Amino acid sequence: MEALKEYFHIAVRNIKTRSLRSWLTIFGIVIGVFLIISLLSLSEGLKATINEQLQALGGEMVMVMPGGDEDIFSSMMFGGAQLEREDIEAIEKVSGVDTVLGYSFTGTTGRYEDEAKQIAIAGMDPWKESLEILGIFQGWDVAEGRWPVKDNEVVIGQVVAYDVFSREIKPGSEIIIKGRKFIITGILKSLGSRQDDSIVYMAMESYQDVTGEKRGTAAYAMVKLEEGADENIVAEDIEDTLSKTRKRRFGSDEEDFSVITSEKMGDIAGNILGIIQLVIFLFASVAIVVGGIGITNSMFTSVRERTREIGVMKAIGAKNSAVLIIFLFEAGIIGFIGGIGGTLLGAILAKGIELYGQAHPVFYFTASITPGLIIFGLVFSFFVGCLSGFIPARSAAKLKPVEALRRFE
Amino acid sequence: MTSEPVIKLENVWKIYQLGKVELAALRGVSLDINRGDFVTIMGPSGSGKSTLLNMIGSLDFPSKGKVFLKGKDISLMSENQLSQLRGKTIGFVFQEFNLLPNLDVLENITLPMVFQGLSLEKRKARAEELALSLGLKERILHQPAELSGGERQRVAIARAFANNPEVVIADEPTGNLDSITGKKVMEILTDFHKKEGKTVVVVTHDPNIAGYSEKIVNIKDGQITVNHQQAAEVLWRH
Repeated sequence: MEALKEYFHIAVRNIKTRSLRSWLTIFGIVIGVFLIISLLSLSEGLKATINEQLQALGGEMVMVMPGGDEDIFSSMMFGGAQLEREDIEAIEKVSGVDTVLGYSFTGTTGRYEDEAKQIAIAGMDPWKESLEILGIFQGWDVAEGRWPVKDNEVVIGQVVAYDVFSREIKPGSEIIIKGRKFIITGILKSLGSRQDDSIVYMAMESYQDVTGEKRGTAAYAMVKLEEGADENIVAEDIEDTLSKTRKRRFGSDEEDFSVITSEKMGDIAGNILGIIQLVIFLFASVAIVVGGIGITNSMFTSVRERTREIGVMKAIGAKNSAVLIIFLFEAGIIGFIGGIGGTLLGAILAKGIELYGQAHPVFYFTASITPGLIIFGLVFSFFVGCLSGFIPARSAAKLKPVEALRRFE
Repeated sequence: MTSEPVIKLENVWKIYQLGKVELAALRGVSLDINRGDFVTIMGPSGSGKSTLLNMIGSLDFPSKGKVFLKGKDISLMSENQLSQLRGKTIGFVFQEFNLLPNLDVLENITLPMVFQGLSLEKRKARAEELALSLGLKERILHQPAELSGGERQRVAIARAFANNPEVVIADEPTGNLDSITGKKVMEILTDFHKKEGKTVVVVTHDPNIAGYSEKIVNIKDGQITVNHQQAAEVLWRH
């Protein structure tokens, strides 16, 4: 154990001696670990956000969205093509469909008292029925105040009420959106996702007045099924009906909408997350391999430069394992320091994105920076360092004392 | 002397393969180095004296023949066993000093003891004792680059003495030093031999250095040409 301490000490001295090269090598690892930590924490955050969204959707509802299956998340997160009035009417006629709720949302500026902030607004059609259905099936409820009854009345999520503006919003207050005055009649209980809690909910007509969106359209539709209806059969029927409607209108067979049951949504989310995680893994692997090659390169140079020292150490009694450990320590320390830098920067970036998301509710996002992830970053980088340094260290350990002493003489 | 030689070479050949050509650096060398010997190995460049030194120091294995270190055939030992035995039995002093540039004087002296697994207290005590006896007390926290040639060689000698070895092998120990400093270095080695009864093997070109020894081995073309005891009166003429 004492010998290990001494080997560690020698390794630290060696790193310090070639400080510029050591720092450049460490920088390579910082980049790799930075990418791993930031991407992993963001992808974990994305996973959590999407899971929240899926839970909020619940069962007994079918979603209809413009765009093909592959565009679902981009349509959902950032908006896309619209469902036309004709589409919504066609869906209403499908057997097994009880009610079709049109739903659109966007980001805009809202003024409360003297303060203007970026907020998200959502329009729902039909207004009162939407709230009733969401109340029954999704468990929506007002925490303070009452449900709106008029078109100029709105309800707001918890985040809008307490976090967005510097002063808390009370029911009965006024909020001005694009020059139009709305009365806030109620504050909703938390809907289970921060994004949903960050929205001002209003009648579709008011929404369309404010945003200029075409009357009768919606970004997507939530379809409430009749009791006992099979969600898969109804979804298929909706798909057929919409295809016909759209073909008649555009003369094309292309399916530019998606009908999604909660089951399908789960599958799609699972697939997309799987791809995201794979891509992240590949990106991070490339970065870390490049950093690792940097360590290997630096260690080989170091072994070459210090061949004679290795010969001396062996002549005065160093076993192969002693030389191996000294060089492995050097590589491991380089990796570990790179890991500290990379983890720190990665966590800062992820946290920064999260804070940005909190300031801009439409872009809601949580970064997942757990102690486990930090420990993983540090242990992993030390391990990468050791692994990258292993071949140079072994080549140093295997040097014959007489050959090592003769070299560079 | 009836006891077993501390180092014994038995018909040792060392053949290097240079492409298709074989070069024999040592040709059937036999040599006994006994406990308490002070041996000088002399010979012109290319005579094979460095190769012989490597064999005596168990730094290399012979192509043919046998080398015994404390009665053990080194070819039958693993690399690690040999490293341990070498570190314990033999101290090396090199012409170029070969100190580790990143470690200070004290750390350089303690290094062989680290490899022998000695405790920190023992290492420190021994290194300080050696530094004191070799006049390096004020320099123990200095880096090798901050020392003069003579000081560096004294550090190298202290390192060679660290494990209290039975044999010290010095390869041209005065080669990079002026004559006065060189003489001091030789006096340290002579003291080690005389006072502690240890074995010293010196490789040199310098006939004056040879004058310190009681046994001179001349080597030419890979073979020992003269191997004789000097007269006792010659031994300590310096």
